[in-house]
Amino acid sequence: MPEAREPHAPVRAFWSGTITFGLVSIPVDLFAAVRPRRTAMKMVDAKGKPLGRQYYCPKDGTKLSNNDIVRGFETENGKMVVVSDKELEGIAPDKSRDIDLRSFVPADQIPPMYYDRPYFLAPSGKSTKAYHLLAETMERTGRVGIGSFVMRDHEYLVAILSENGVLRAETLRFADELHTPEEVGLPKRAKVSRSRVTALAKEIARLTRDEVDTHELADQYAASIQALAESKEKKGKDVVRLAGADEEEADAGTSNVIDLMAVLRRSLSPQAKVTTADQFDAAPSETEPSRRAPRKRPAKRVSTARTRKAPKKRTAHK
Amino acid sequence: MARAIWKGALVLGKSTLSVQLFSAVQDQVIHFRLLHEKDRVPVEQRIIRKSDGQEVPKEDRRKAYPLGRDEAVILQPDELAELEPESSREIELCRFVRRGLLGDQWFDRPYYLAPDKDNGDYFALADAIDHAGVVGIARWVMRKKRYLGALTSSDGYLIMTALRRAEQVISVSRIEVPATRRPDQRELKMAEQLMSSIEGDFEPQLWKNEYRGRVHELLDAKARGKTLKLVAPKRKPAGGDLADLLQRSLTGTKERKVA
Repeated sequence: MPEAREPHAPVRAFWSGTITFGLVSIPVDLFAAVRPRRTAMKMVDAKGKPLGRQYYCPKDGTKLSNNDIVRGFETENGKMVVVSDKELEGIAPDKSRDIDLRSFVPADQIPPMYYDRPYFLAPSGKSTKAYHLLAETMERTGRVGIGSFVMRDHEYLVAILSENGVLRAETLRFADELHTPEEVGLPKRAKVSRSRVTALAKEIARLTRDEVDTHELADQYAASIQALAESKEKKGKDVVRLAGADEEEADAGTSNVIDLMAVLRRSLSPQAKVTTADQFDAAPSETEPSRRAPRKRPAKRVSTARTRKAPKKRTAHK
Repeated sequence: MARAIWKGALVLGKSTLSVQLFSAVQDQVIHFRLLHEKDRVPVEQRIIRKSDGQEVPKEDRRKAYPLGRDEAVILQPDELAELEPESSREIELCRFVRRGLLGDQWFDRPYYLAPDKDNGDYFALADAIDHAGVVGIARWVMRKKRYLGALTSSDGYLIMTALRRAEQVISVSRIEVPATRRPDQRELKMAEQLMSSIEGDFEPQLWKNEYRGRVHELLDAKARGKTLKLVAPKRKPAGGDLADLLQRSLTGTKERKVA
């Protein structure tokens, strides 16, 4: 649902709950650990006037607000079943507010295919001792905790891991959400020539480095868009004022770096510093967002992702 | 057999290998539709001008790139078309790094690669990657978009996982924990014991999406005109002395079987 986004609304937790480790409970807030790509644009008309999304009833032509809209599921025989948010909440398992860590596994045992979305966990209780205890113990043992939980009408399998003393969650795909090689129809293993393996291994070795060069992982398309926009701005061409235009494509599961840092400083440590992998440091100017590279996007309200009937949330379940 | 979503050629130095791309993700999402409550008709989304509420047709819409707080620059359709990457069928393997150097935060959507013609070279590459203990970093253009991917091998097959961009991946510097908040040696020791009492291997098949199953049950019941009993989620009270809770957990796990 179109919703006015204030430029600097504080970041809100996606989910609040408790990690349980044996009988130890650790209350936490969950925040996205990815930023949106810097390719997201706003919708305007040809004159630059802000555009937004609006739901209508095609039958009687009325404008619809959130309160006029319900979720429906079309059965195989074409019947429409209406489901309320209350019903979906009501069928959540009892312990849906808990991430019960039922197993600790070596971190490198999880195939990357299972990785879905990363989050940070900030302690939300008065005492943070249990939080640090879990973080330190996992870091020492090189293990990650596995559990599941329900967040906004989805159940997630999740790995809880520790990095630099901070707890993170990586949601994982369930096994039935991944195809097997057989299902895809991959061929049976063919005979491999030793000399070909050696030749390819040589090429691999030639290109292998000990470190990841994040420049090689930079967003080239975002850079070219930004360059174009800035050159037009210099010429004063097509420059418009933006007030509350909706995003072209909403990417809900993302965080604002500056706001996230404020949360972690408050809950964890005043020294906590949040950076992106391209070394963009959010620390220096927390008041006036810099207009120049790297561009700081106006803070996006993470909370819009919570809007039940947001345009992208036509699907409710994994 | 699934349908390939794209065909291309992996390029590694002087070697070229024709491959097909298959999505590794199987959609299990329960798709809901948004309905107008009053007449149960699926809603329609329109793009309107915020100032006067008038619908704006597609040809009159533009994209504006925000610069700073409320300024933006309109990027015209022809200008954006010029920024589109040249189409190509090549997947360029430009770098390899040791496995483990790219953390979970980078990985986005996985695809299986299948050999298109030459099976031998396909499995040779999977073997070579496996033996070297590396991840390949690849670039390609698919459907007018640039992709960045990580090439790995699993059970002898090649997997390409789309990667997030460097600008998207957030990390937190190491934090200093004040002494008053730090767990003591005894607590750490007990926590480690507790962790090792429930350690195991990653066995994803053991985990079922129960909630998804319950939603299916709910929908089935409602379609048949029945109702399900609803339960409100409970919150577990937290509290107690940390050392005491750890001690009791340790005693508890001796009898308890872990899933």
